[in-house]
Amino acid sequence: MSLGKLIERLIQLIPVLLGVSLIVFVMMTLTPGDPVQIMIGDQAVTPEQEAAMRRDLGLDRPIVERFFVFLGNAVTGDFGTSFYHKRPVSEVIAERLPATIELSLVALIVALLTSIPLGVLAAIRKNSIFDRIATVGSLLGVSLPGFWFGILLLMLFAVHLHLLPVSGRIGYSAEIEPITHLLLIDTLLRGRFDAFLDALSHIILPAITLGLPMTAILMRVTRTSMLEVLRQDYVTFAEAKGLSRRRVIFRHALKNALIPTVSVAAIETGSLLGGNMIVETVFGWPGLGRLVVESIFLRNYPLVQAAVLFYAITYVLLNFVADILYTVLNPRVKL
Amino acid sequence: MTSIARAVLATSAAFFLAVPVASAADLTIGFTLDADTLDPANHRKRETETIIRNMYDGILTRDANMKVVPEIAESMTQVSPTVYDFKIRSGIKFHDGSDLTAEDVKFTIDRITQEGAMGDGQTSPRQSLMGPVESAEVVDGDTVRITLKEPWPILPAMLPFQEIVSKAFVEKVGSAGLATMENGAGPFKLVEWRKGDAIIMERFDDYYGGATDIPPVGKACVDRVIFKIIPESASRVAALLAGDVDIINELPPFSVDQVKNNPGTDVMTVNGTRSFFIAMNMQGEYFDDPKVREAAAHAIDKDLIIDKILGGNAARIEGILSPDAFAASPDLKRYEYDPELSKKLLAEAGFPDGIEVTMDTEGAFKDTAEAIASLLTKGGIKTTVAVGEGAQLSDKWRTKGAPKSGDMYFTSWGNGSLDPFDIFTPTHKTNDRGNSAGYSNPEVDTLLDEAAVELDVAKRADMYHQAETIVNADLPYVYLWVPQDIYGVSKRLKGWTPSADSRINLHDACVE
Repeated sequence: MSLGKLIERLIQLIPVLLGVSLIVFVMMTLTPGDPVQIMIGDQAVTPEQEAAMRRDLGLDRPIVERFFVFLGNAVTGDFGTSFYHKRPVSEVIAERLPATIELSLVALIVALLTSIPLGVLAAIRKNSIFDRIATVGSLLGVSLPGFWFGILLLMLFAVHLHLLPVSGRIGYSAEIEPITHLLLIDTLLRGRFDAFLDALSHIILPAITLGLPMTAILMRVTRTSMLEVLRQDYVTFAEAKGLSRRRVIFRHALKNALIPTVSVAAIETGSLLGGNMIVETVFGWPGLGRLVVESIFLRNYPLVQAAVLFYAITYVLLNFVADILYTVLNPRVKL
Repeated sequence: MTSIARAVLATSAAFFLAVPVASAADLTIGFTLDADTLDPANHRKRETETIIRNMYDGILTRDANMKVVPEIAESMTQVSPTVYDFKIRSGIKFHDGSDLTAEDVKFTIDRITQEGAMGDGQTSPRQSLMGPVESAEVVDGDTVRITLKEPWPILPAMLPFQEIVSKAFVEKVGSAGLATMENGAGPFKLVEWRKGDAIIMERFDDYYGGATDIPPVGKACVDRVIFKIIPESASRVAALLAGDVDIINELPPFSVDQVKNNPGTDVMTVNGTRSFFIAMNMQGEYFDDPKVREAAAHAIDKDLIIDKILGGNAARIEGILSPDAFAASPDLKRYEYDPELSKKLLAEAGFPDGIEVTMDTEGAFKDTAEAIASLLTKGGIKTTVAVGEGAQLSDKWRTKGAPKSGDMYFTSWGNGSLDPFDIFTPTHKTNDRGNSAGYSNPEVDTLLDEAAVELDVAKRADMYHQAETIVNADLPYVYLWVPQDIYGVSKRLKGWTPSADSRINLHDACVE
């Protein structure tokens, strides 16, 4: 892909982000629920005290003015102050983001490592018992609610078998000076193998819970596209040449069969980032998703706006990555 | 084995033995929400205060029975209806080793009560919790004088909600620094805040001992306290059962038996401070008629719901006040369960075939609301439950006098101070912010206004009794119950009792 195309794509981001900002702003403001009333809670207050709180949160100004102030500041990277944390929103989000990214990456790895072999196997053993089990399993994987499956895993591995911890990211004796803020990497970089194992034991269950639906989807995609590829003439030709089945599948078929898998995986990674609030809640995982949901209920406007903007950027970029991967894997396609 | 090898072995064994074991004196709390900030003057959340309160002490505090007692203050004297003197104890140290003085107390109160005192033109969101406080001055070196704009008898009940900060420290780090750092005078000091995950504290060895009226006085018992944030209740229960945590808050009633039956864990309860009730829209189609409201009151079998759905963990109420609140009347008229009487009352009101209504509630209370709805339906009030989101329902119902739609609203109001001022006035005074029934009775308004500033305790209690009696007859709400706060605890925990204001004070807690 040329540099021109890349710049063109990046420029296309601007209207998307403007649109997302406007939609989020309008939706948050139009949703019933007054941030000041929520903040005061169950308390007797005088109208003056209430007005002072409204002024301090900047909610006494007209909506249109607030929107343009938000946009103007956002361009400079200032997303305002969180109503509740009383700190810059960008700072609060940055603290929670690494946990979400780490969990999403591990879930992605889990999903890729399980779905591709299972999908390929199901395709080459089409209609076998294994294929049927895998098909039913993938249906279950897509339809099991994350919170239920997560709690089931918790009860089994943490409460009954005492093998894994219930919640959190790492134990309380481990203090790791951050480098990348991704604990699995930082612990290794610092040479703390004990802490690495500790962090690993914390991430296993949430990563499996989060990765399950994606595993199921990717397995289906891989199976279908593998079946398609196996019907192609060049595969038949390769087999006719007398190549071993193994060689035909792994050297010739797999690369082409993986094209749809990879692009679906890139797009689905966006939903991993956005869709992990439930998993984060169940496993007490200190990520962004949970923070955003809490903030929506509290009408913490600045935080929700900034976070949704972040999700939008990530989603657009991941789609972009999917496109690039597509062209890399399939040189016939030009963007 | 050579002697060198033996020496090496012995040394390494000694080394490993000397490494502190992941300490037996760690106390871990599985807690619903992380702190928003560590600045005691810059938040409005009870959970944030619960966490902060273990690192910061206040002028006054409460014992487990909600009695207000001096903490950092040695004594409190009411000089006049609007002037209170607090003599500050000597020898109290902040975590950085500096002395806590009356100047710090004055600074703290100014920071909360004065306009713009938080810096950047911001006023503390806790200002309204300090009512009409006008000023704080240091008199005689060790005494702080708080002056009010008008009499406000609940000042002592509200002071435990504020914690004392160090003037020098705040001036050094600013409000921005105080959001993530602490320098309190409480029993524990901050080790690390892993945002969204845990707050780790350790014992402060120079602690002055805490309130003299709450024994044992002295340093905290445990070495470390960890507030581990687990928002999902099923996961909190799992963490307790797995032995990962020693205390969990908000144990759901349906998990009580599971925790009780587990060999290492137990359940502790304390009377809560949140009153549940059903608002009936008095400006609406049906509930403007007192007979229809009475019919609703007789149609609900409170005892049955308390027993079957809340697992017996709630106290029945006939007025807005918790039985533990100041001035709660014990002898209010009880509206007993009598569905036949409900039907009769509806017929008298002109609805011989009953009425059809909708009851709004939040998702968390859907089960209870459904049970109430089926009881109401049996009594002739055919009720459909509509589940909404908290803030949206609050907007719909708490309109401060503006016209509203809707028939019934199953909701609640908290009363952490256990003083009627904070619950009776907002929910019953004409057009006040929690008056979801749209109730208006000038006589009640006058009583509530006068009681708010009445200093004679007996007279004040009598005013609230009168108001409760009137309201009990007017029935703007069906008053239901005050649920208990339920905690799951590990059996290795000793010396800790839950507190009615939902605070989790860990000064006296020990683990075996």
